[in-house]
Amino acid sequence: MGAGVTAGTPADGLPARSRGVIALLEENCTVCMLCARECPDWCIYIESHQEPVPGAEYGGAGDPARAPAGRGRQRVRNVLDRFAIDFSLCMYCGICVEACPYDALFWSPEFSYAETDIAALTHEQGRLREWMWTVPPPPAHDQGQRPPQD
Amino acid sequence: MEPEEIIATAGNGLPPEVGCEADHRGVMLRVPPEHWLAALAFARERLDCDFFDWLTAVDEVDQGFSVVVHVYSLAGRHHVLLATPLPRSSPRLPTATGIYRGAAWHERETHEMFGIGFDGHPHLAPLLLPDGFEGHPLRKDFALAARAAKEWPGAKEPGERGVPGEPGERGAPGERGVPRARRRGPPHVPDGWGPA
Repeated sequence: MGAGVTAGTPADGLPARSRGVIALLEENCTVCMLCARECPDWCIYIESHQEPVPGAEYGGAGDPARAPAGRGRQRVRNVLDRFAIDFSLCMYCGICVEACPYDALFWSPEFSYAETDIAALTHEQGRLREWMWTVPPPPAHDQGQRPPQD
Repeated sequence: MEPEEIIATAGNGLPPEVGCEADHRGVMLRVPPEHWLAALAFARERLDCDFFDWLTAVDEVDQGFSVVVHVYSLAGRHHVLLATPLPRSSPRLPTATGIYRGAAWHERETHEMFGIGFDGHPHLAPLLLPDGFEGHPLRKDFALAARAAKEWPGAKEPGERGVPGEPGERGAPGERGVPRARRRGPPHVPDGWGPA
């Protein structure tokens, strides 16, 4: 049997935009919940809470555009507590990656994360963040394609 | 056979109620149910489509169901789709197994998944679903039990902790919960479903 009979194995290199695993850039996540709501498999779990933003109270003194002092609410921001993707349910449709308005989800070509325990296929925040290091740079634009807008 | 030739042959040999259309995907014959077997026999004999590829149904919701067959000519390397409309109430069709024996398995599956009857089928027994399964899971109005048993992860609002919908879980520390707009439900799940 000659070498190289089977073509297209991962050893030959993966195609561009391969869908191996989904990585989370948690710094970009605003807990908008859009990915969890769009996911057809219900496999994205998000926990969060709200924290006050210091020095950003409504109704601050000397600002006539704001509500009268004492009547405004404390401004808050969402803080991510848990972000997990259950890859035993995920069907790799990529809708979450498309839906994310804040560029927090990315495709990585890494595929070798088989487990003997199905529960271990739920990748928590830290593991999803680690996959970010394997995300390739975006492919070059095709010739004649509209230049990037940002 | 080229698509034009298929359409010309079908137009000459089939009743005028059969609609013939062609696009980039190939030729589609739209057949009234009463001409279903005649059209299949015509496809096999006159259009030389001796290879039965598949039979299935499409839930067209308000328009009932369509049963669709794909057949192929091994010699001529052309293929034809045949479709017939069926009413939503008591959808029935004569079996195609007398023309294509391979249709038996596909009609069993279509019977099980869509609840479409095939008169004269030799063995229209359940095929794939577990014993005692109720309902026809490929109908559009069939709701998945898994959707009722599991809590929708998207039910939480941004910044909401713990069980969705429970009061006092949202809002900054020491502040009352913020009144929110109508809570949204998961898509494609009937109202009232879900864990209590």
